[in-house]
Amino acid sequence: MPSRLTVTGWSVVLGFMIDSACADVVVVVPQHSPVERLSREQVMDIYLGRLTRLSDGTPVVPIDQREGSTTYREFYQQYLGQSPAQIKAHWSKLIFTGHGQPPRSVADDSAVADAVSQTRHAIGYLDPDFVDARLRVVAVE
Amino acid sequence: MSKPRGVAEERDPSTPDRAGASRWLHRLVEPPVLFTGLAVLVLAVVWVATLNLIARECVAAERTAAVVAADTAQTYEAQVVRALREIDTTLKLVRHDLGHAPPQKVLAGLRADDLLPPRLLFTVSVTDARGDVIASTHPATIGSENYLRLARIDDGMVVGKPRHPVGEGEARLSFGRRIEDAAGQFAGVVVVTVEASHFVSGYDPEVLGERGLLALVGTDGVSRVSRTGHAEDTGSIIDYEALFPDTALGGMPVVMAVDGWDDVRRYTVARELYEFPLAIVVGLSEAESLAPLAALERTYLRRAALASLLLIAVMGLLGRLSWQLQKARLGVMEERAEHARRVEHLAFHDNLTGLPNRALFSQLLTRSMHQAKRYDKKLALLFLDLDRFKLINDSLGHDVGDELLQEMSRRLRSSIRESDIVARLGGDEFVILLPEITDRSEVTPVTDKILSAVASPVTLLGQEFRLSVSIGAALYPDDGEDEQTLMKSADTAMYHAKEAGKNNAQFYSGKLNSDSLERLTFESSLRKALENREFRLYYQSKQETHSGRITGVEALLRWQHPELGLVAPMQFIPLAEENGLIVPIGRWVLQTACRQNVEWQNAGFPALSMAVNLSARQFHDEGLLDDIEAALSASGMAPELLELEITESAVMRDMAHAVRVLQAVRALGVQVAIDDFGTGYSSLSRLKEFPLDAIKIDGSFIHNVVDCAEDSGVTEAIIELGKSLGLRVVAEGVESKDQVDYLRTRSCDQFQGFYVDRPMPAHEFIAMVREHSAGAEPSP
Repeated sequence: MPSRLTVTGWSVVLGFMIDSACADVVVVVPQHSPVERLSREQVMDIYLGRLTRLSDGTPVVPIDQREGSTTYREFYQQYLGQSPAQIKAHWSKLIFTGHGQPPRSVADDSAVADAVSQTRHAIGYLDPDFVDARLRVVAVE
Repeated sequence: MSKPRGVAEERDPSTPDRAGASRWLHRLVEPPVLFTGLAVLVLAVVWVATLNLIARECVAAERTAAVVAADTAQTYEAQVVRALREIDTTLKLVRHDLGHAPPQKVLAGLRADDLLPPRLLFTVSVTDARGDVIASTHPATIGSENYLRLARIDDGMVVGKPRHPVGEGEARLSFGRRIEDAAGQFAGVVVVTVEASHFVSGYDPEVLGERGLLALVGTDGVSRVSRTGHAEDTGSIIDYEALFPDTALGGMPVVMAVDGWDDVRRYTVARELYEFPLAIVVGLSEAESLAPLAALERTYLRRAALASLLLIAVMGLLGRLSWQLQKARLGVMEERAEHARRVEHLAFHDNLTGLPNRALFSQLLTRSMHQAKRYDKKLALLFLDLDRFKLINDSLGHDVGDELLQEMSRRLRSSIRESDIVARLGGDEFVILLPEITDRSEVTPVTDKILSAVASPVTLLGQEFRLSVSIGAALYPDDGEDEQTLMKSADTAMYHAKEAGKNNAQFYSGKLNSDSLERLTFESSLRKALENREFRLYYQSKQETHSGRITGVEALLRWQHPELGLVAPMQFIPLAEENGLIVPIGRWVLQTACRQNVEWQNAGFPALSMAVNLSARQFHDEGLLDDIEAALSASGMAPELLELEITESAVMRDMAHAVRVLQAVRALGVQVAIDDFGTGYSSLSRLKEFPLDAIKIDGSFIHNVVDCAEDSGVTEAIIELGKSLGLRVVAEGVESKDQVDYLRTRSCDQFQGFYVDRPMPAHEFIAMVREHSAGAEPSP
């Protein structure tokens, strides 16, 4: 129990540090994707299932991580300002009412790197350490 | 007015009803009734409309709530069923694939093919026959006896009771299907686990509010999950049967129920799900559903109340204005009526006494005469004239006269019956009408009463007055059958009473009538009397009291009428005063008296003083002094011998002028005496202001001077007064030796009267003087 609290505490502290250190988790697209930059709202809408095509008609396919991972928590906290429970409730309602399905989720950062690089129009997020030549970091404003 | 109505009633029996109805209608439009009625009517309409509207809104709101509940239930049912089908599909799919690969591989394969429900929410596991999890999408998933027990015996999908995962986290529901081996024996369970809140995540506060209800209930009576607002509940035991009552609301499968979860009354819809051992329940809080209605109701009531107040205020205002208008109108009408009454009263009543005036009396008399004629009765008409009133009025002023008239009118009124009528014709003339007289004898008590009532003393300005009245009575129809004749008869009778010595009542008689007819021609014959030489002077001696010597003579005017014979001065002097003939007549008297006096002297008689009466009008005539001088110079008589006698009232009329005239007269050497002294109410204190030589005590005092203490007191006082002012005092109307003796003891200077001689023509008089002096000579 104490260890969990410590973890939570650290993650919060870390979250603040990341926030102030200008984003540790980065949003990535395949190297050849035409997407150059996204607004924070666009990222939010994409990951809440509200946006499936950008304004120029390009489809977007979000790749998610497992909800337990640190990157997951940080991403949603950092970009969407929401807790995992809120995200879960959001999707629960959408699924129940038949208004949407959550993004496909993969196991970890490297799985995200793989999935994004292999999927046309994909978008994902991961720890910057996992960014490789197949991917391109998208600027989020 | 009542008669035509009576006729109409006979003609049409329904008229009274119609009259009643019209009266009723008339009352209806009276402002208080009209405005109150209108207000009540409009208020009733406003409130009935408002309450009706509220009732309708209430029904509509209930219906809306029921519809919303039913709609929501339908949607919710569809959503639940779809979710359950998806879960069931997953169960079947996994179970199907288990025959071809190890469980974990099956799950991985299905996940790779995206055939499993999102792992974010759903956990898919496989257990063996003992219930141990042998494969799962989520690690560390533990099996549960909860569904295992059911799956062992149940062929279909089983639904576990809500369970909290070991450690922490939301309550979860597990759905399972049994797995059979090739022999058909129970070999395990495929389980899909999901958070119970998933089934109530569709709760939309915009539709269901904060106190609505979404619930998933097992047919076993265990609530799987329920949500009210943001509060979720799992595992409650529910009276399952109670969810499905027999009655339904508004033809819809909606009931008003207090649900098992809390004590909130809700529009509730419950549906059993097809092919699943579950039912859904949807509830809409009655309070919340009807809250807008309550607000609306309050708004309506407030508006109605406001409208009512406004209406009452407006009606009140209108009513008040109308009432004021009506009152003002009524006031104006009353004022007008009052004014008319006042004008009429003024027109028909005497201002001073409030008695009917001549015009009204004329009407009353005519009416009374008609009635008397109709019932064959008589009526009496009394003409009244206050004696000596003119004297009082002239000497004491009109205010006193007015007060006296008012007092007299009060006395007259109190002397007669209620049914009798008193009226004032003008001046000091009154008339009294006595209706319903049968005989002349009934009148006398009334006149006696009036005479005594008038005679009782009146105190005015601290002085006591005694008045008397002369009454003439005439009877209808005996003395006149029309108003004019009757009035004239009564007037004639009144004059007769005056002539008979005043303070009495006289009935009209035919003889009186002829007298008065003659009087009509009096004036014309009076005018001719001077030129026809019909006037005569009679003479009465004046004797010295102490010596009995004749020292003077008074000249008295008489009219020798060719037909009437000798006419006394009181019968024509007032008329002559009135038409001014008195001035030439007086001039003639002066001249004749003076000439006579000188004649007697020339005949050898001793010089006697010659007294001549001056009437008031003569006294104030501008030519008086010239006339006196002319008479003196024409006759050659010594001015000292001439003595002018003037009445008190003539002097008092204009004192300043009187003093001037008297001074001028005395400057000629002529003597001045006040005649009838004691009758004119002149203020004794003023007497000394007048330049006088003598005062003459009125005969009325002398008449009873011996017997009546009052009269003798007055006489003595006058004598004393005269003495103290250095005036000669003369007693008039001496009739007896006792009176002469009395006067002598009181040192009265002179006397005259029947005791010595009656007034007589000149030749008789001079013969008497001769005899007297012959008889008197022996005595010193």
